[in-house]
Amino acid sequence: MAFEIKKMRKFFLIGFILFTLTLYPNLAYASSSYVLPYPSAMPGSLLYRPRLFLETLQKYWYFGNLGQFKYNLKESDKYLVEAKTLFEYNQYLHASSASLKYSDEFFIRTLPFLEKAKNEGKDISEMRKTLREASSKHIEVLKKLSNELPQEFEWKAEKEKPILIHIRKEIEKSISIRTKYL
Amino acid sequence: MNRLNRLVIIFYTLFLFSFVLFSYLFLDPNLFYFKKIYTGFAFTNRALVTYLYIFLVLTSFLFYLLFLKKKFNLKLLVGITCTILFFSYSAMLSQDIFNYLTTAKVIFKYHENPYLVMPIELINDSNLLFTHAANKLALYGPFWIILSAIPYLTSLGNFILSFFEFKILIIFFYLGTIWLINKISKSDYSPLLFALNPLVVIEILVGNHNDIVMMFFALFSFFLLIRKKILFASLFLILSILIKYATIFLLPVFIFTVFKIIKKQKIDWDGVFFYCSFSMILIFLLSAFREEIYPWYAVWFLTFSSLIPQKKMLLLVTLAFSFGLLLRYVPFMLIGSHFGITPMIKTFVTFVPVILAIIYGYFKKIYR
Repeated sequence: MAFEIKKMRKFFLIGFILFTLTLYPNLAYASSSYVLPYPSAMPGSLLYRPRLFLETLQKYWYFGNLGQFKYNLKESDKYLVEAKTLFEYNQYLHASSASLKYSDEFFIRTLPFLEKAKNEGKDISEMRKTLREASSKHIEVLKKLSNELPQEFEWKAEKEKPILIHIRKEIEKSISIRTKYL
Repeated sequence: MNRLNRLVIIFYTLFLFSFVLFSYLFLDPNLFYFKKIYTGFAFTNRALVTYLYIFLVLTSFLFYLLFLKKKFNLKLLVGITCTILFFSYSAMLSQDIFNYLTTAKVIFKYHENPYLVMPIELINDSNLLFTHAANKLALYGPFWIILSAIPYLTSLGNFILSFFEFKILIIFFYLGTIWLINKISKSDYSPLLFALNPLVVIEILVGNHNDIVMMFFALFSFFLLIRKKILFASLFLILSILIKYATIFLLPVFIFTVFKIIKKQKIDWDGVFFYCSFSMILIFLLSAFREEIYPWYAVWFLTFSSLIPQKKMLLLVTLAFSFGLLLRYVPFMLIGSHFGITPMIKTFVTFVPVILAIIYGYFKKIYR
């Protein structure tokens, strides 16, 4: 019996320590009105595919029109940050043909979900405000990139035909998409 | 039934009716569904209402002690208590029921995920007039949200109906828990100890807190474990955790017991329930770090402690907690503020009865 009590005590001690550790998370919040996320797992990383899989699942978790609005905006933010990081590492092909494109696609989907929510009688004023703030932030990032990056770039992959990437044009297209939602 | 017992039951019935009437003094002014019976009495006669509340709490404990000492018909008492208190006003002491209703509305009416969309984001909804904590995402587990579909959907959007259907749901699990305590303890004393504890009665049958649902599934899990149905027992414990998460603290005891079952070792079930009570007291006390100790959290350990009434010190401590926790409402009732001296009085009334009970228990043990 004494042995059992000792064992039990161990269980409780471990449980107690684990619980208290979760009580004090270190959270930090930025002061900006609209904050883009940190870059998550990047293409080529081992965690990239699991990230994509998780995001596909999240699409179903974010049900409802307000939920879908939040999901699409979150994804658009994520892919914009991914594109920005790839551009900074000169990975122009993936940045413009995939990441930025995905960010645009998700961004385009945001407003229709808000309109659907409005038609259901939901008040969307706060979310519309968030979308405007997000648009401005995206445009700010894209403009900065546009100034820093070359207008065009010829991507030469091994044993493949070179591809001409119209970086500036792609970025301007993304800016125009976001300008419509301002 | 002798004459004295009959008289006690008549007085108890009258007491319950007065409690029902008393509860409606606390009607929320914004709860327009009940505007015809709104008096605002509790907010304009704070001192009188506080004294009445203390008197009712003391009376309920007197009845409780009487029921524990004398032989009473448990089924009759529970039946009377459930039936009369079904008509009470749930948000008398806490507004949780509105939170349950509004969360159910977010998902089942607006088809939005309550873990992502706060009720306050649905700006035009009428429930926002009286729902507290509308600026928070769903506070409860997914299984509770699934269960809340039953009263919400069957009420067809009628507020009053859904309000009382939630009460029926809670009463159902309250009765289920009593049945389980009876089955596990194989006595009439343990169910009586739990079912008529004034804190349980007020917080579950009046306040309609979903903690009873969580504890029902947790207890059912141990009930199945006694019958060595490990798989189903695990499933029910998971369901319990998915209601309000607190029963995650039962996992060490649960795993340890499963381990012993697998090893075919003898299990001291009283010991198991003692550690279950201890675990739930621990999480109950730790809840002070998260927000504050709410009186209805006591249901977490009362469920298990009522199974082992022979542990006198535990019984004393849990009864003292039951009494002290019900007095936590007094400072706000009197002052009308959650700040200033209120937190200090709350701590005082919660822990002083427990400390006194421990001292009493200690000396009783020495001089026995």
